[in-house]
Amino acid sequence: MSSWDDDETAASAAEAATTDVELLKRAWRNEKAAPEVLRFDSPLVSRVREQIQLLEETLDDFADSGVDDLVVSLYQMDLDRTLFLLRSYLRLRLQKIEKYTMHISRSDDLLSRLSPQERRFAKSCAEIMEKHLEQSVLSKLPYGYDSVTRQSLSSTEDDMVPEPQLDTFVFCKTKSDVGAFQLDDIGEEVVDLVADDLYVLRYKSIKGLVEGGRIDLI
Amino acid sequence: MYGRHASQLLKEIDSSEAGQLAPFNSDVFDQVIRECNEHNSQFQSLIRKMVEQNLDIETTRNEDHYGAAIHHLSLLRNKRCLMAYMYNRAEVIQSFRWKVGPVLPHDIQEKLHFSEKEYFKNHSAAIKSYISKMDIDLTVDMVPPKDPYIQVRVLEDIGEVSLGDHSVSLTKNSLHFLRRTDAEQFISQGLMEEFLE
Repeated sequence: MSSWDDDETAASAAEAATTDVELLKRAWRNEKAAPEVLRFDSPLVSRVREQIQLLEETLDDFADSGVDDLVVSLYQMDLDRTLFLLRSYLRLRLQKIEKYTMHISRSDDLLSRLSPQERRFAKSCAEIMEKHLEQSVLSKLPYGYDSVTRQSLSSTEDDMVPEPQLDTFVFCKTKSDVGAFQLDDIGEEVVDLVADDLYVLRYKSIKGLVEGGRIDLI
Repeated sequence: MYGRHASQLLKEIDSSEAGQLAPFNSDVFDQVIRECNEHNSQFQSLIRKMVEQNLDIETTRNEDHYGAAIHHLSLLRNKRCLMAYMYNRAEVIQSFRWKVGPVLPHDIQEKLHFSEKEYFKNHSAAIKSYISKMDIDLTVDMVPPKDPYIQVRVLEDIGEVSLGDHSVSLTKNSLHFLRRTDAEQFISQGLMEEFLE
């Protein structure tokens, strides 16, 4: 911990912000690379928002007390970059929800990964899309073929819902030694995952590791 | 040949550039709907014929059964094509909300089916509701920031605008040094551009 001449609160705020910003950056990168929507990190987001507010207040104080312009623009840059990360993180999630709205609404597991506001958004998105499709296409089709999720009455399951491709390849980096890791159900492909190594794997096989935080997507 | 009109719709989606919409092809669309209803009435009459002959619909395999099967499958294919057409257009419309904003320019509006216009309105409202609940504007800051302030050149006369604690007069071709977040909304509407040395 280096010694700071400045205000104690500003220093500790800046330091705490670095760690949380790193976490946010990691969550953002994971969200960007993953084909499906990941778990919403609610405590992280609230902490980041608090720190953004703290930074904004610090900047206001600077404006009043006439601090050197360079320092002000450095703090402003930090604020802008953190804000961008937060906005992009939320945006990425919203766009994934938009894309797979019907699939998400049907799965309790996926719904549980969303924040309450996102859940409400997902629900309205699904309703709006259904209404649109019904109005334009389905109402004109004969009886028995007018379901949104099923092709016809003879379909045995919901076969018209678009789903994310979970077995796309992703670049990832391990954070710690995982050891021999089974890539598929049959036990045929086993890969030795060493710490800090780069891999290109199918997302489906490493899903659990990403959730547990032991592997990062790039 | 069954399904040819429907594949025309799909070709239209395929040939348009990413993020662009062709005008809604209501002629071909209505034709496909008509085909579907045709298939359905043919299907029904074939099934009725089999029932009148006291044949078990589930297990009998005669020419009527196969005819009905073809009509049923063609109907399904038409339905899938229609849904794909509307769904893909809807995805492009979603992207408009993020790229262009809550109000669509006239030339895009002309290309939309009336249900699509309603869809856009409702979808925008859902996004707006989320933004106001989270109290953080997600439609700015689309590109990672390099500088907190950027130099902009005004392309159209905007007039007096108050930014922060002072007001700026944005006349055509004037250069300003503005905060990035303030300038972004004008840049996305095409009223300003970034001035690069």
